[in-house]
Amino acid sequence: MEKCKVCFHPEDRCLEVDKGENLLRAAMQADVHINASCGGEGYCGKCRVIVEKGEVTHKLGVKLTEEEVKQGYVLACCATIESDLEVRVPLETQLGDKSALTRRPPIPLKGYTLTARDWAERLPQWELNPPTAKFHLMMDKPTLEDNLSDAERIKRELSRLADMKDVVMDYPMLQSLPGLIRASSFDVTVTVLDRGRDLRAVRMEKGDTSRRQAAIAVDLGTTTVSAQLVDLQTGEIIAEASDYNGQISLGEDVIARIIYSTRSTGLAKLQSAAVNTIWNLIQQMVEKTDIEFCSITHMCLSGNTTMIHLLLGLDPRYIRVDPYIPVAQHFPWIKASNIGIRIASGVYMRCTPGVASYVGGDIVSGVLASGMFNSEKLTLYIDIGTNGEMALGNKEWMLSCSCSAGPAFEGAGVKHGMRATRGAIEQVRINEVTLEPMIITVDNRRPLGICGSGLIDTLAELFLTGILDERGKVNLDLETPRVREGNNGGEYVLAWADESGTNRDIVITDVDVDNLMRAKAAVYAGISVLLEEVGMEIDAVEEMLIAGAFGRYLEIDKAIIIGLLPDMDIEKIKFVGNGSLLGSYLMVLSKNLIAEADRIADMMTYLELSTSNRFMDQYVSAMFLPHTDIEKFPTVKRRLQEARETARLGSTNPGGGED
Amino acid sequence: MMAFEMPKETTDSRIREVTLGTTDVKVGGENVMPFCLFEGEMPNRPLIAVEVYDDNPQEWSPVVAQPLADVLADPVAWARKAQDEWGADIIALRLRSTDPKGDDNSPEEAAQTVKAVAEAVDIPVIVYGPEDVDKDGDVLKAAAIAAEGKNVVLGPAMEDNYKTIGAAALGYKQTVAAKTPIDVNLAKQLNILLSNLGVDTGKIIVDPTTGALGYGLEYTYSVMERLKLAALQQDDTMTQMPLMADVGVESWKAKEAKFPAADEPAWGDENKRGVMWEIITATTLLVAGADIVIMRHPDAIKTVREVIDNLMG
Repeated sequence: MEKCKVCFHPEDRCLEVDKGENLLRAAMQADVHINASCGGEGYCGKCRVIVEKGEVTHKLGVKLTEEEVKQGYVLACCATIESDLEVRVPLETQLGDKSALTRRPPIPLKGYTLTARDWAERLPQWELNPPTAKFHLMMDKPTLEDNLSDAERIKRELSRLADMKDVVMDYPMLQSLPGLIRASSFDVTVTVLDRGRDLRAVRMEKGDTSRRQAAIAVDLGTTTVSAQLVDLQTGEIIAEASDYNGQISLGEDVIARIIYSTRSTGLAKLQSAAVNTIWNLIQQMVEKTDIEFCSITHMCLSGNTTMIHLLLGLDPRYIRVDPYIPVAQHFPWIKASNIGIRIASGVYMRCTPGVASYVGGDIVSGVLASGMFNSEKLTLYIDIGTNGEMALGNKEWMLSCSCSAGPAFEGAGVKHGMRATRGAIEQVRINEVTLEPMIITVDNRRPLGICGSGLIDTLAELFLTGILDERGKVNLDLETPRVREGNNGGEYVLAWADESGTNRDIVITDVDVDNLMRAKAAVYAGISVLLEEVGMEIDAVEEMLIAGAFGRYLEIDKAIIIGLLPDMDIEKIKFVGNGSLLGSYLMVLSKNLIAEADRIADMMTYLELSTSNRFMDQYVSAMFLPHTDIEKFPTVKRRLQEARETARLGSTNPGGGED
Repeated sequence: MMAFEMPKETTDSRIREVTLGTTDVKVGGENVMPFCLFEGEMPNRPLIAVEVYDDNPQEWSPVVAQPLADVLADPVAWARKAQDEWGADIIALRLRSTDPKGDDNSPEEAAQTVKAVAEAVDIPVIVYGPEDVDKDGDVLKAAAIAAEGKNVVLGPAMEDNYKTIGAAALGYKQTVAAKTPIDVNLAKQLNILLSNLGVDTGKIIVDPTTGALGYGLEYTYSVMERLKLAALQQDDTMTQMPLMADVGVESWKAKEAKFPAADEPAWGDENKRGVMWEIITATTLLVAGADIVIMRHPDAIKTVREVIDNLMG
């Protein structure tokens, strides 16, 4: 990708971005404040800047006069960078931010995300050796001298061709065997599944079908289900799809679903909802590609313990009650058709083993994918979702726990919360002096609501600018119309009704902040208790891996400012993305890793947080911004001082932009 | 042969010394866990604050009402008697007459009492509102104005009204008692909030909420002890405030303290029982780390004073 150098004046702040980047996003990245309230749809016309040198392509904006266009004015949100640029931010757009000159240099927005390159190093066990393989067998027809049974004949050929001894024949295959093998003149393709303990011939087809083989990887989440169709010969992901879990209408979280499952036909309904969701995804993926259903030979699926129970139709009720016992930790290879996923005959599926009732196969899968079980380094793996699940350890030992964070980071339980879809506010900056926001939305649409990363950004910015106090209460004494008393206590207006896509003011309220505080406190408390259990300080952690839905958008420094993540060297923090899906994908392709997953599940120690009051204690001390013990957050302390200083300078030197 | 030497845990941290009133009465300042004088020092002995009510309490057990009968209706006389006869270190004036659920007197009326009491005694005064989040703000603001120059302790400042009360204390140079519901972290958080408001950390007393014997005493003990440990061993500056235990009110709420012997003969002599209840609660919390105990019954006050004398050597 071609790079362009963009300089913003009068700050003289320059950065390199990809050609084709949006100018407003570049400004956000350079930490140059430009007022922007409509998310980047060119609607509010506030983000006017002058391009003094260089090329941009500009969406035709109604908010600029011909005269202005001649002078080089563009709306930053509608401008695409085409070359090196010199951009001047006019004073009216900065809104008197004189102190911008003294602001701290920008901190990299996004953390490092693990990629395929890293896995080679992190997962030496990985090899392209899937648990199912197709063998094209061309056998001699039986004679009086060579009178082996049909089944023994296949076994002999498999042994000769692939050195596979003692292959067990699946019963349905035997039933079709005599007719099929003769109809194809003893020229068949047999699919063999390696279950670790035994080899099993699961399907027989006429002629040679071994050219194309595919499998399916699934992350069965409480809220979202994601799937990948994987080519077993190349290891490539051919298609991806994701959708809401169809069970949502039957209960929002795992507890509600367990309760629902105890009703008369509740369990069956939940099972069929999950199966339908997965089946629809498989259909979508197959339709997008030239892979046929019959090329699919197996599935690997990871999910939390409750989700797996519901999918397999296992009674989950004892997960919910003391002493929290699941039906099983390890699940056998089962036929997908047994639970109603009818892809083709003889398609087996495997669910990743879990650790305990509240630390499931999704975490095991993520730990597997992250390679932390191979690492010498002390690693902290965190999956932030409705439950905050985490594991601490290295190749020698692993300790895991789970805490209920609630759905706030997924946008639920927040007045204008939403998922990270089109129109969701995903990045926010607030000027320390004017308290005016700069917002960017997904796909640059007029804002409809705020998604998880936007909420974390908002919280951090509100706190840094003093709009929120340490308790997370909006300071109503500030002189700005954006702060006001609403129905739910204090609130801050991120977007006025005439700039939003909903024609209503988009606000964040005291109650929203409260829910977010609870969520962040739970995650932080979980981390603290894990570390406390092994008698370590956060400094001892050499690598922190973050998985979860917003792993891709989360700004680490903001997550630290609000005390969601511990204050640590940002370099140590890496993103995994959807760890559960990634692990499933890797297992689909490599039977070594399936065995590793079993080992990981058995080696992880589970720490039950409900049995001690340590969690509660840590939780209360984390119900504060960033934390009751500010000494644990030295960088936040410093940034707060800087922000307060900037605000003070700004307010004592008024008039910067009021001409 | 070597002589036995007591192992010592010493620290460089100290509880803040807070000046009460205007006559150089100080509280706090210790660098040791309570009464561990072999490890450090307690420059100021723990103080006893004696309760005075402004609403002529009627519902009290005769065991405690009897010795106070001549002063119950007159807060000024009560305060003088506490100072002169019982040796009170501090007067804890409770403006219960302003309680919206009771007499609902105006803040101005209460302020008159505050002024009168503060002028009648030489010892420092603590002024507690009716413990109603909204009314406390108004009442204590009026009290702060009335007692300007007296450096009284205003309380209880709680999470939902600390701004009003903290501001009143700031404006009229008074001290603040910060009250939180039996939790170390919440206590610390309120101290941070008050100091962010501009209240000098040397003008805050912490009231971590008191549970009497049989009614959560062990929780209060644990929270006080943990606050002291955090202050001294971890040098946590936001927990280094002197602690105050509200003993009188809580002890005399216990049915074991106030039920007449006629109702519960097995519980023993009612004249001793309530007093003992108050003494045990007070001494326990002194050992837990209370720098001030607020007390009610003259006999209990006398005994606890002797206990403090003995423990201070």
